[in-house]
Amino acid sequence: MKVLKVIGKIAAILSAVYAVLFAVFYFDLDGKFFYYVFEPMMVKHFDQMKHRDIMDTPYAQDVK
Amino acid sequence: MRDLKHLIEFENLLLEANNELVRQGKADGNLALGYTCSFMPEVLLDLPGCFSVRLRAPRSSTPDMATYYMSNRTCLYGRSLLERALEGGFNFLDAELATETCTVTCRFQEHLQMMNIIQNPKFFCEFVDVPFKKNENSLEHYETQLRVHVLDRLHEAFGIDTSDGALREAIRQHNEVCELITKIGAYRKLERPTITGFEFALIELVSLTCPKYLILDKLRDILEDLQSRQPDEKPAYRCKVVLAGSENDDPYFTKLVEDCGALVVADRHCYGSLPGREQIEIMDGETPLHAIARHYLMHEMCPRFMEQNTMRERKQFLADLAKEYHADGIIIEQMKFCEYWSYERCIDTLVLPRDYGIPVCSIEKEYVNAATGQLRTRFQAFVESIEIKKIQGGEKK
Amino acid sequence: MSRLTDTLKKLRSIDYKKAAKDFWNGKPHGERQLGKLYEDKTGLYKHREWRGVQDTFYYFNRIWLYNYAHMVMDIMRFGDPISFAKGLVRYRWMGQTYLTVMHWFDRGLEGLRGPALRASAWHYRAMTCETIRQFQRMFAADTKTKKDGRQNRLWHTTIAHDETVSGSIFYPWRDVLDDVPLQMIPYFVTCHVNNHTVLNYIDAIQSIGLPSDPCPMCQAEAGLCVMDDYPDYSPIIITSNEACDGSVATSIIQDWYLNRPLFAMPQPMRFDDPLVQKHCQEEIKQAWHFIEEHMGIPFSWEQYVKYAERQNELTRFEREKWDVAANTPYYPINGVAQALYRIYYSQDGDREIWHETDRKVRAIMERCVRDKIETFPNTRHRAIAWSCAPLYYSNWCTWAYNCWGINCVINMDSLMFDKILRTDTYEHAVEDLATYNEWAPMRAMAVGGYEHIFRLWEFMEKFHCDMVIMYDQLQCKGMQGIHGMFEDEFRARNIHAIWIPHALPDKRTVSRAEIRTIINDYMTTVMHEEPLDASLLEFDDSMSW
Repeated sequence: MKVLKVIGKIAAILSAVYAVLFAVFYFDLDGKFFYYVFEPMMVKHFDQMKHRDIMDTPYAQDVK
Repeated sequence: MRDLKHLIEFENLLLEANNELVRQGKADGNLALGYTCSFMPEVLLDLPGCFSVRLRAPRSSTPDMATYYMSNRTCLYGRSLLERALEGGFNFLDAELATETCTVTCRFQEHLQMMNIIQNPKFFCEFVDVPFKKNENSLEHYETQLRVHVLDRLHEAFGIDTSDGALREAIRQHNEVCELITKIGAYRKLERPTITGFEFALIELVSLTCPKYLILDKLRDILEDLQSRQPDEKPAYRCKVVLAGSENDDPYFTKLVEDCGALVVADRHCYGSLPGREQIEIMDGETPLHAIARHYLMHEMCPRFMEQNTMRERKQFLADLAKEYHADGIIIEQMKFCEYWSYERCIDTLVLPRDYGIPVCSIEKEYVNAATGQLRTRFQAFVESIEIKKIQGGEKK
Repeated sequence: MSRLTDTLKKLRSIDYKKAAKDFWNGKPHGERQLGKLYEDKTGLYKHREWRGVQDTFYYFNRIWLYNYAHMVMDIMRFGDPISFAKGLVRYRWMGQTYLTVMHWFDRGLEGLRGPALRASAWHYRAMTCETIRQFQRMFAADTKTKKDGRQNRLWHTTIAHDETVSGSIFYPWRDVLDDVPLQMIPYFVTCHVNNHTVLNYIDAIQSIGLPSDPCPMCQAEAGLCVMDDYPDYSPIIITSNEACDGSVATSIIQDWYLNRPLFAMPQPMRFDDPLVQKHCQEEIKQAWHFIEEHMGIPFSWEQYVKYAERQNELTRFEREKWDVAANTPYYPINGVAQALYRIYYSQDGDREIWHETDRKVRAIMERCVRDKIETFPNTRHRAIAWSCAPLYYSNWCTWAYNCWGINCVINMDSLMFDKILRTDTYEHAVEDLATYNEWAPMRAMAVGGYEHIFRLWEFMEKFHCDMVIMYDQLQCKGMQGIHGMFEDEFRARNIHAIWIPHALPDKRTVSRAEIRTIINDYMTTVMHEEPLDASLLEFDDSMSW
């Protein structure tokens, strides 16, 4: 009986997780999160990043 | 400086492709063989019985018909040539010896194949595959291509003598022209040059577009004339520059640069003489065709070469030219829509000042020189910047 | 009171049988209003499409959940999460793009049902998997994300090459070295998934003086150098002249930036000429010699044979697919999946994921043929897409089918690399490899003579197409240079051709909305047809991925 209860609980939790995931899927919440939150954050990060200037690269006749 | 002999005549010859000397060459029973790219050895088209004509479309305006066929997003050189062909301006050609060395001129030449444009029943257009490297494999390939697609084709179609003897004769004549032009060009190296870039451009262009045997005497006259020519007391220029870049068959572009105060002392571009007018040397045991293939492959400095060392050597070559010709700076021009030179110009503009300390003026131009006002401003500013550098350099000393 | 009456009236007017049917099966094509699912400008969905119970849950379970899970599992399978995380925060093309992958699936698979949904999705899954494998290898070998910038074992055993150099060149070392194309993920894949990133690279190269007219693909590839956004994962680089002048010219900047031993492996331009073959073969041999010399590992004929044979299996199946696509209405792969998968795997060369995918797709395709399942039942026009596609809108064909019933059956680049590689002798192998690389995507039709690009008529007939979608890459000199001849031929042959202007990765030149308007205009004014889904005629997705 206890085992069944545990299984039932697990099934209920999994079902709830599944239902939440389906809601995320159906309402495109993943897309909205990445578009409105994640991407702007990354853009800010990359815009502030310092890059090596190509002018610092030598242009020798022989490359080894 | 006093006028050089034949220069007015040369200027007039360049006003049309089918000029007086071309007509005379044809009247003498020779075949006119067209080409567009320096990878097509002109010496092969100057075999006895024929002469080479490097195609230009002087006095072009808006190429409306060609723009229909090639859109307005391709280089105006290719489009202007097609327009001129569609107008009938190249009907004098007996054949076009083509190369797929840059896309738009290739497409122009393919239109000649597709559309039966040239109203000459004998006319054909034959393509040569040109390699991208300067190694042995490329040389062998290039030689084979030249033999099969140029020599054999000319022999089959017109019965042209393509024997080693005929090739040697063509090389001899070619070398004579090159020697004269190199000697003429050497006057640009003087501390106070006795020939202007514009004058030299006229000479070089005539040598590319007219039968060689008809200009040899004139070149000799010019050389002789130069020997006694004195520079102006007060130079008309404020600095000396190398003109480098892509296709440029417009002597008035050089004149525009010079009118802004920059004397063009070296011409390293598609229709220029550096490289282009070096003599062909036949090594011991070498066939003339092999010598020609080797010469053209090894001397070319086109940005389509993509081996690492050749890509990098090109910058050194340009810097060496500036030094040899005592130039104060380099003007790098690029025909709009030329992909090779857009990248080459970009890197030249960055690396030459950084690594060699040479000032560079980097510009984009059209085949039809419409934006003269803007270009003039750019060149004048460049000349001024060089002058300021000179003054600052002098003060430091 | 009146509101209650209205509601009751509405409820009474509902056809419950039909509503239940629509719930169960999804609305039939013609009644759907897919355009109403979009949020304005962003291309995000108010909610994802209800495709009926079976297909919605297939999409949820086997595509959405499955792929998200695999996007995590593949990270572990092909590397480690730490180097992934470092790559994610170091490289813009990675950080901005990776997690938006499922929207790329959504855009490509809109409106699909049944076998078409399943087969097309497997193609997307394979491309995602191979992408992860490639970037994980790059990151694991990358010196830029290592604290001390050290060159580890993987750095010494990875070959970087231009993305247009076919993976088949590296088969002799596949078991001991890995070959990773330099631009495939940083440029090509990211353009499709999230085209926001590529614009930075185009702007970057122009900022150092490159004019704006060269091919924008080459510009973006060079821009990655200017932004210092390529991982440093290999001691060498192998470049190529494929597909055009722009590719050759780009290597000038790439060589400067990479500043390491470079081997240029050019293909001849006039490749119909039998005389060029020897030269091409010799260049391949020299490339092999260069790899041996710099990587210190000898050429292995056994490895070449093994992988070339496996690649031949892929090619044979591709031909079977073409046969079904050309001669039946049962082909289960939509236009965008066909185009992207084919160019990806043929360029990349043999990998296990392509075989796994082909096995699954074969099963689906065989069932469609056996059971005569019309996979795109609302097809009004069978179209062939010609020339290079807009990378920022490769899913235009999904839209075109949903909106107008234009079924893009095949495209130009899919038809390239069509060669079985002989493995009986070394000489045959090199001969075939040379020809194979000459007939590479983009270059095969664009160079070597106008006859190649005019093979369109032959393929139109073979695939029973009644319409041409003519990609008009505004900065492709090769295609622009022959524009008028196509116009003449279309008129002379009385062919319906819709020109789609675009600038490959750069949506700023011609927007997706403009592309749709051009097709809409043609379909209404020339074809006099009504849309299957009028909600898709006009919508604003200007800021979408």
